[in-house]
Amino acid sequence: MNITVSEASADVAIMTLSGRLNATSADQIGAAVRSATDTGRPRIVLDLAAVVFMDSSGLGAVVRALKTARGAGGDLRVARPSPQARLVFELTNMDRVLDFFDDPLTAFEGG
Amino acid sequence: MAAKSIDLTAPPDTIDAVHELLVEVWDGAAHIQPGDRYRFELALVELATNVFKHAAPDQLLRCSIVVEAGDDRLAGTIYDSGPPVDIDLSGRAMPDALEESGRGIPLIHLLVDTLSYDRVDDRNRWRIERSARRAA
Repeated sequence: MNITVSEASADVAIMTLSGRLNATSADQIGAAVRSATDTGRPRIVLDLAAVVFMDSSGLGAVVRALKTARGAGGDLRVARPSPQARLVFELTNMDRVLDFFDDPLTAFEGG
Repeated sequence: MAAKSIDLTAPPDTIDAVHELLVEVWDGAAHIQPGDRYRFELALVELATNVFKHAAPDQLLRCSIVVEAGDDRLAGTIYDSGPPVDIDLSGRAMPDALEESGRGIPLIHLLVDTLSYDRVDDRNRWRIERSARRAA
């Protein structure tokens, strides 16, 4: 899996994930989110459009990232989940908890 | 029924080896719908992740994974060298939303028709089966 991080605004970090999000790659998300919160960007957007595989280990990393972001006074939003990522969110009922957004750049607009 | 298998030793092998095995399997299973292939892959990766997780932390885990792709059925069997595992595979309830783990086994139940564990010749045997539809 690859993660590229960009800034949408002063306190929002957009993380674009691509490839497989499984037990091997899950820790990368935690490291990227901690780096963002440590540098004053506690509002995190995870862009999952290019995730070709996601399992419960990957989902666990997303939940951990959500808690890290909230713990730092921010939040986490999911943008453009691929069909593979959406399947896991739906089967685990996490689609009722997480907000999905069409555009990573505007996921935090309006609060 | 076409079968493919792989022998792993973890570490250094990781769950990515399971994906690589399935790339080979799917090359010969184009007759099965992509959605069924994906759900089976997700279940097998969940199962293998569980097997890796239960391995003794200071010991190498040797395991063999066999995947069979038939006309209308997919089956995966994982044999591992670990000690007998006292695990309840019946759980189907998802944990609370902010839990970071515990979704693997409930998720497998949603993805396959059967999930079983037993002990054979000093190895653990884990097996999943799923019926599969033919691609249009």
